[in-house]
Amino acid sequence: MLRTRPWVPYLYVTPALALLALVFAYPVVRVVDFSTRLIRGASGPYVGSLNYQLVWEDPTFRDALEHSALLLLAVPVLTALAIFFAVLLYEGVRGWRVYRSVLFLPYILAVPIVGIVASYIFQLNGALNSMLRAVHLDGLALDWLGSERLSLLTVGIVIVWREVGFGILLFLARLLTMDGEQLEAARIDGAGWWSQLRYVIIPELKGTIEFYVVVASITMLAWVFAYVYTITAGGPGTSSTVLELYIYNQGLRNSLPGMASAVAVVLLGATLVSITLLMFVRARAQRQELA
Amino acid sequence: MEEVTRPLSRRRLLQLTAGGVGAMALARGLAVADGAHAALAAQRASTLKMWWWGQQEAVGIQKWMTDTLKKFQQQDGVKVSATLMDTNNVIPQFTNAAAAGHPPDVQFLFNGIYHMENVWLGYINELNSLLPASVLKSSGATNLSVYKGKQYRVGFYSVGFGIAYNKSHFRKAGLDPNNPPKTWAQFLKACQKLKASGYIPIGGGVKDGFLGEWYLVNALTQNLNSPAEALNLFIGKLDWKNPRYYEHWSRLEELKKKGYFNNDINSLQLYQGIQLFDTGKASMCFNTTPAIPNSQKLLGAQNVGYFVMPRFGHGKMAGIPITDTQGFGIPTKGSDHETAAKLLAFMHSKERVQAMWTLSRQIPASSRFNGNVIADPLLRMVQRRWVAGKHNVYIADLMPTKFWTDAMFVASQKILAGSMTGKQAGDLAAEVTQTWKRQNPDMVQNYTTWGKDLA
Repeated sequence: MLRTRPWVPYLYVTPALALLALVFAYPVVRVVDFSTRLIRGASGPYVGSLNYQLVWEDPTFRDALEHSALLLLAVPVLTALAIFFAVLLYEGVRGWRVYRSVLFLPYILAVPIVGIVASYIFQLNGALNSMLRAVHLDGLALDWLGSERLSLLTVGIVIVWREVGFGILLFLARLLTMDGEQLEAARIDGAGWWSQLRYVIIPELKGTIEFYVVVASITMLAWVFAYVYTITAGGPGTSSTVLELYIYNQGLRNSLPGMASAVAVVLLGATLVSITLLMFVRARAQRQELA
Repeated sequence: MEEVTRPLSRRRLLQLTAGGVGAMALARGLAVADGAHAALAAQRASTLKMWWWGQQEAVGIQKWMTDTLKKFQQQDGVKVSATLMDTNNVIPQFTNAAAAGHPPDVQFLFNGIYHMENVWLGYINELNSLLPASVLKSSGATNLSVYKGKQYRVGFYSVGFGIAYNKSHFRKAGLDPNNPPKTWAQFLKACQKLKASGYIPIGGGVKDGFLGEWYLVNALTQNLNSPAEALNLFIGKLDWKNPRYYEHWSRLEELKKKGYFNNDINSLQLYQGIQLFDTGKASMCFNTTPAIPNSQKLLGAQNVGYFVMPRFGHGKMAGIPITDTQGFGIPTKGSDHETAAKLLAFMHSKERVQAMWTLSRQIPASSRFNGNVIADPLLRMVQRRWVAGKHNVYIADLMPTKFWTDAMFVASQKILAGSMTGKQAGDLAAEVTQTWKRQNPDMVQNYTTWGKDLA
């Protein structure tokens, strides 16, 4: 048997660890460091927790925080729609492969393109409202982008439209590996479509749903900048300003990278807490199932 | 002896890859170290890197730029690699590149705070030691480019701010097409008549915020006595809650309530709003002088007019045209200041200044420009009044960007959405100004020093 010195395996993983540290750990450390400084240009004096305090006192930050939290409401919608369409495709409706491609298509479009097109479609006199007016649904022809009440909802609709494709694909892939006998047995026992979904399919998808909820939540918190920037630019007023846009404004436009970093640290922390919490809940559920 | 061929194991593959990457890095490092000085020297002699902007605002200016760079290469043997930047990136990208120590050699610069923050960071070189005083003086950079007595920018083209109007609409609405409104009462009456005739009186798009900025400049300036007063207002030394300082937003509220804007103003961007005017749907729009030739092309030269925003304010700056200039500067860490300065001087040579009009129909930011070559009466009037005549500076150039994003942008959109009054906008501005001061204690001093240059 070939024997190696005990430190040799560590030597082999060192390059990978160094790469990980360089790509992931270093930027995070720098962001945390920036968040404690009044950055002007490439660096600046240490100010402790002042940036965090200033961020908290800034009314625009609170608006952005509220809107980012509200966007999380899109996660259950996204999940429900993705499951619904995935199940329909799984049932093999005629032409399901074509429908699958059609439903996945938005996901492969670049977000800025989706945003720019949406910013035209949802104008008060844009394509959507023109169609609604043409079929005498004038009451539904709303000021989707120009109304403070609707702008965040409009952004949410566009996000759901594009992001649902990934969920559909994920759930469909899981369904296609599912043992069909369970569904067959449920059918023989007289279970209807809803009962099959509730008692067979959803329990089978549980792990995938948990994963998808985590991914979708991260998307809503930290990956919606391009949508907001291109569709509403955060307005009218601050009605669709989210944390990412606040970071962009503070960091690039207002030349306050320290404050932008403070928000980024908070966002990273919130995301990590959510994921940890979810993993904890999932581990406990698994333990209960095994018991 | 029999040679045994073994399949490549994963471990072996990783070892070989790591070795290869290491060798390549070493070779590259040696090559860079060896050739760095030679390459830099060669680069100095033959290429300048320039980041610029302007084509979107001054349609056609690219033609002049291409011609200028070609002629500069013919004359001095220096090739200029020019990159046309996006509006939102042209300054932030420069700041990032300058912070990283790799800025271009020549950089487009908006006026005022948009380059002054970079001056304060030490990213832009003063030009007094690089360019002849005559070029600096004639370049139309305005005094917003001066800090502690040093000039940091030369002008590029001129931008006059005002209201474009459709003479044909005016005629059909029973208004005198050759006498646009001068007072607020006349303006409201004109809007009323145009609306009654079935036109959108004022077309605009405020979604991206720039119309809010133009409006603020045209309107707030009327209640100010000097640019220094604007600066003191923006940094909180004067109070936005004073009715005099929020009256312009109350006037915007009045226009909105009377229905004088297009109903989709909040869902359109600036240039989409201007298109309403250019396509004959709206009778007036807030606009800039570089856009006039395009409007003339689309509506017919005889149908386009341009006027200073009607007067309601009582400041010394009221009723006077507002003019800004775009410009260029030399980054401190640019590779060749001398050649960069040569290029800027070449851009401001008499021949190039005249060529800007001939090639692009844009009015250069230069007192060397002979406006007699302009045949079009409207553009001749614009050049005479907005550029060569007495004019105000563009006070938004003194506005901290926090004020732009959190006060101006928000207030203009909310007023046009009908959810904020002019007075509430004043309260918001006061609050944002205080927030800005707390977040930028070091900048307050810089602004105060700058204010002395402006005074």
